[in-house]
Amino acid sequence: MTSTQPSVGVFTTDIHLVIQVWDATLARLTGIGEESACGQPLTTLLPDLEKRGLLKRFQRSLNDGVVEVLASAFHHYLIPCAPFMPSKHFEKMQQHVTIAPLRDDETIAGLIVTIEDVTDRLERERELAARLAQGDEATRLDAAETLSDDQSYDAATLLDALSDESWRVRRAAVRGVSQRAAPEAISALLNSVVENHQNPSLLNSALQVLASSDVDTLSPLLDLLNGPDPDLRMQAALALGEQRDVRAVPALVKALNDDAANVRYHAIEALGKLKAVDAVEPLVEVAESGDFFLAFPALDALAEIGDPRIAPRIVPLLEDELLREPAVNLLGQLGDETAVPPLTAVLNSPTAPTDLIADALANLADRFEAQYREGSYIADLTSREISPTGVQNLLDALEAPDKKNLRSIAVVLGWLKRSGVDRALTRLMGRVDLRDDIVEALVRHGSTTVDLLVAQLSAEDLEVRRSAVVALGRIGDASATSAIVNTLDDESLAIDAANALGKIGDPQAVDGLLNLIGSGDASIRQAAVNALNSLAAPSIARRVNSLLHDPDPNVRESAVKIAGYFGYPESAGELMKLSSDRHEAVRCAAIEHLPFLEDDRAMEVLVRAIKDETPRVRAAAARALGNMDAPQVVEVLIKGLDDEDVWVRYFSARALGRRKSEESIEALERVLEKEKFNHVRIAALDSLGQISGQRIAGIVNKFVKDDDPDVAHAAQAAVEKSSQGN
Amino acid sequence: MGSRSQNLVLPKGAGALIQGLINERTGMFFDNGKRDQLIDKLAPLVIERGFSSYLDYYYLLKYDTASRLEWQNVLNALSVQETYFWREFDQIRTLVQILLPQWQAANTGSTLRIWSAACATGEEPLTIAIALNEAGWFEKASIEILASDASSKAIERAREGVYRERAFRNLSAGLRDRYFEKDGSGWRIKSDIHRRVTFGIANLMEEEQIAPFASADFIFCRNVFIYFSENAIRRAVRSFAKFIKSPGYLFVGAAESLIRVTTDFDLTEIGDAFVYVKRERVI
Repeated sequence: MTSTQPSVGVFTTDIHLVIQVWDATLARLTGIGEESACGQPLTTLLPDLEKRGLLKRFQRSLNDGVVEVLASAFHHYLIPCAPFMPSKHFEKMQQHVTIAPLRDDETIAGLIVTIEDVTDRLERERELAARLAQGDEATRLDAAETLSDDQSYDAATLLDALSDESWRVRRAAVRGVSQRAAPEAISALLNSVVENHQNPSLLNSALQVLASSDVDTLSPLLDLLNGPDPDLRMQAALALGEQRDVRAVPALVKALNDDAANVRYHAIEALGKLKAVDAVEPLVEVAESGDFFLAFPALDALAEIGDPRIAPRIVPLLEDELLREPAVNLLGQLGDETAVPPLTAVLNSPTAPTDLIADALANLADRFEAQYREGSYIADLTSREISPTGVQNLLDALEAPDKKNLRSIAVVLGWLKRSGVDRALTRLMGRVDLRDDIVEALVRHGSTTVDLLVAQLSAEDLEVRRSAVVALGRIGDASATSAIVNTLDDESLAIDAANALGKIGDPQAVDGLLNLIGSGDASIRQAAVNALNSLAAPSIARRVNSLLHDPDPNVRESAVKIAGYFGYPESAGELMKLSSDRHEAVRCAAIEHLPFLEDDRAMEVLVRAIKDETPRVRAAAARALGNMDAPQVVEVLIKGLDDEDVWVRYFSARALGRRKSEESIEALERVLEKEKFNHVRIAALDSLGQISGQRIAGIVNKFVKDDDPDVAHAAQAAVEKSSQGN
Repeated sequence: MGSRSQNLVLPKGAGALIQGLINERTGMFFDNGKRDQLIDKLAPLVIERGFSSYLDYYYLLKYDTASRLEWQNVLNALSVQETYFWREFDQIRTLVQILLPQWQAANTGSTLRIWSAACATGEEPLTIAIALNEAGWFEKASIEILASDASSKAIERAREGVYRERAFRNLSAGLRDRYFEKDGSGWRIKSDIHRRVTFGIANLMEEEQIAPFASADFIFCRNVFIYFSENAIRRAVRSFAKFIKSPGYLFVGAAESLIRVTTDFDLTEIGDAFVYVKRERVI
């Protein structure tokens, strides 16, 4: 059974170390009662305080105001007493002691001392340490994990486990030590590195701990870097790179001239990791030195540092076959427009590393696009510099079997308006990873790609067909119209096809689109209506007028939306009639389009609709009234705020915002106070914001802290709008 | 915005509001890269409702007390119903060959309950039923198989029990012919196996909806958490932990991990499968 009683006792002293407070926990733990302790000087209660070297710790806390900790591992106890519970390992209670100054305003008036009974924990720690030292792998792992997970255990217990033969145990130990690396643990680790660096397990674990600890390890590592042992210098360089401390840069730059190549190698890597801009020049010199073993990491380090000023120095390295690959990558990563001609020159050679150059050029363009919106500049430069051999290299690379990453090649080809390029690109439209780039390229190349894209409209893959139809719409070439119209029958393509036809704007599409306006899918109907509205072909008016009488309500609804959009005067009478159609959706469509007819009868129809119709039509009437100019609109909409249907109230509130009438302020304010549906209150807030003015700010300001975040947000927006309107 | 949503108004910030609300109510998480996809999938619902703005639709879903039916439309529009028979079968084999004998030894005379918590169009619970039948378990024990999905459309299809060829890509022709009958261009599950599974609708984010299913010995909730946010997974798993029996076994998809979201279940390797186990806690 575990004791649930507190294990931390407290006493306080005055400035002369005379005990003032001795709490009940401490009395229970030590067996010394409050009456025996209070009023006693600490040195009387604990006569060997000075002899044990502890008195000065109390005095330092009193004099310097610092917090002193007496760790149980070193001092074991402050107040000698038996363990509270019987202990296998300890005759005396083990105590963790914290001594802190007690302040009275700015001055130190005494000390507060906490004493924690840690006997039980230390006992468990010893048992775990024994299991860690002697058990089988599972036992050791369990012990290491327990010690790592519970940070109250001493990290030092885990140090030996850093060189355990099992990697699992080492991993657990690294985690535990690095989570709470104390200076003494670091110091012990460094000693281990110095003494045992031939043991790779320990060295690795220790370096991992150093890399992930918060303790300042710079100066001990610099000592190692400057020491006589080349192995230790190498490990120090490695660790300094992991530590990410830029103060190490000068020492690491100096280490670039170390006698040992391995030290130089790790110093180069470390400088890359530290992104040491100051090391760029010496690193370029290493890259230029022709020492293959060091030039490679030097180029990698330069890539990590990312200083674009070195790009011109890298160009000559393109001549070096061994260093060409990292040099190309580096130019792709850091170069500017001046890197394009040398890169393209390499691409133009018969034995070009095509993938590599394409990657670099595509990277360069992506970067220019992201930074300056000027990716097309790199594309144009490449197009100007590339030779027929370069183009052929790219086309051949595209055809090579088992290519996984073709994106860069497709991108670079997409910049080139050359024979055969578009055809090759179109063949790859089935690849999801390339499709977007290819479509962009084909759209950029414009009308010359229309035939290729039209051919893709019959591809097996729906996504290819979809991409082709979208691309054709963006190119906007009327020669694709009939092919696109033929795809309107395909339900999964109909919306994209209708959108594309709307963009192309060819009147030849009218018949095909009109065939869609009775579709059972509301999205398809809507897309067809929008496309027809974009075409604005004169033939539509006549056709639509007859469709207003169609027996299919879907067709009538769509026809109303087209006739209403254009406001054909000859359709006005029919639209008035259709506002009483037997189908609700048709009535809604007719009602919503009445404001655009400029017909005197519209107001009367709308007023009747918002009073007498179904909720959905009343809501449509409210929306429509927002677009009417008649003087009585505001009064009608204010009545709409009291409608029994929430959506009529919502759209009435919104419509009043469009009217911007001060007459509606009080009614909208009432909505804010009384409406139970928050979206209606939000609509009222939005509308009040549109009316704007000082009075509005006063009304809406009360709601900026509403419980509902959407209401509060709308209130804040209304406050801002209303103040802008002043 | 995608092609369907092109003709609708999406006010600034409305996409994020919808994304958050959908995540809160359904668990499904569409990250910013997939927000257009979400908006596009909702477009037909916005149009059908007679709205021209997504913001109006957001308010409908969030505030209108009559929007319960609309949420079902949302779940139908967003749920992924692509699955097949005998998918990730190792876990079902472990159930049939290892866990069921253990369960039977410890629970003589009780009824075993298995819940397929995201059954889509029914392939998973029917796979379980077929596997149990193949091993003769229906004769040896009283077994109840419950199956639910958030999408009413999916459950409708599961109840109909007719599957297209693609659903059989992993099932041997022999098993297919034994348990299914040709039905037009598809295959209909035979009624003696179909009736072993009780289908229902349950949104994993609604505790009161899952309560009738979740007091099970085995819960299969596979290939749904990949679409959920971490918080939503945590919520669902917490509900499972509340209702599942002890010991209770939770199976998730091979690509899904609960290690970061729960301490109620321990991950264990049993047979060839990884299983999350809720053990009886000794306090």
